[in-house]
Amino acid sequence: MKFILNYIRKETWSPYVAGILLGVVGILVVLVANSLLGASGGFENLAGMLGKWVAPEAFDNLYFNFIMPPGITFGVFLLIGTFFGGMVGAATSKTLQWGKKDAVNGDPQWKRIFGPQTWKRWVLAFIGAIFMEYAAGIAGGCTSGLVISGGMLLAPSAFIFMGGFFASGILTTLLIYRRRY
Amino acid sequence: MGTTIAAIFLGFFFGFSLNKAGLTKYHKIVNVFRFTDMAVLKFIMTSLAVAMTGLFILRGFGVITFPNIPATYIVGNLAGGLLFGVGMALVGY
Repeated sequence: MKFILNYIRKETWSPYVAGILLGVVGILVVLVANSLLGASGGFENLAGMLGKWVAPEAFDNLYFNFIMPPGITFGVFLLIGTFFGGMVGAATSKTLQWGKKDAVNGDPQWKRIFGPQTWKRWVLAFIGAIFMEYAAGIAGGCTSGLVISGGMLLAPSAFIFMGGFFASGILTTLLIYRRRY
Repeated sequence: MGTTIAAIFLGFFFGFSLNKAGLTKYHKIVNVFRFTDMAVLKFIMTSLAVAMTGLFILRGFGVITFPNIPATYIVGNLAGGLLFGVGMALVGY
């Protein structure tokens, strides 16, 4: 029992142990709700709801009517849980940095590559997130919605997507890091 | 109502496992693309193997039917993947 408690307090688990936990969660999602894990879908449902409210004409299209219907869906509640899960995970290892000065920009490797300014982190996070969410919309899922939940059902799209993001991810990192790669 | 509570509960463990695997850190994500730290890949592959085994066994026993699997449209999946990688390497989330 003490061993388990001490293991929970560790900051980084062995990826195999954490992977087993995620695999079990993936099975339970199908078993309990006949649904799939996913992070980007919930954001799209919320964005659709907001869009229908602010600009109903612009959002009256095929995508937001049929593919990603707006509303408070299973994915949105999953997101709420994910937020608190991540927070509690950080709190158990005492790395939760809520409200601290370096909370947003605390990664030493990021500072070495992009510089110490915090606004840069915000701007790049915003731009990168637009890329990611838009791409997830095109492909039909993100790393969790397509690679993990699609992959565990052996959907071909998951493996095509995975090949795609590894190729361009390596290329982008090469361009950013150059000689420091 | 039941599914709502289940969603929050399952989401909690989803977030917890992501945090403990270190996927909430910039350097963990980017170092996969630099081939210096493969923890993220190990994490994803382990979860895939566990979930695949469990799901196909449960389907074999007739306990579950699969939900709609993500659609395959090669150009879209590939284009989305290529764009996604750019964002992922920039942000590291």
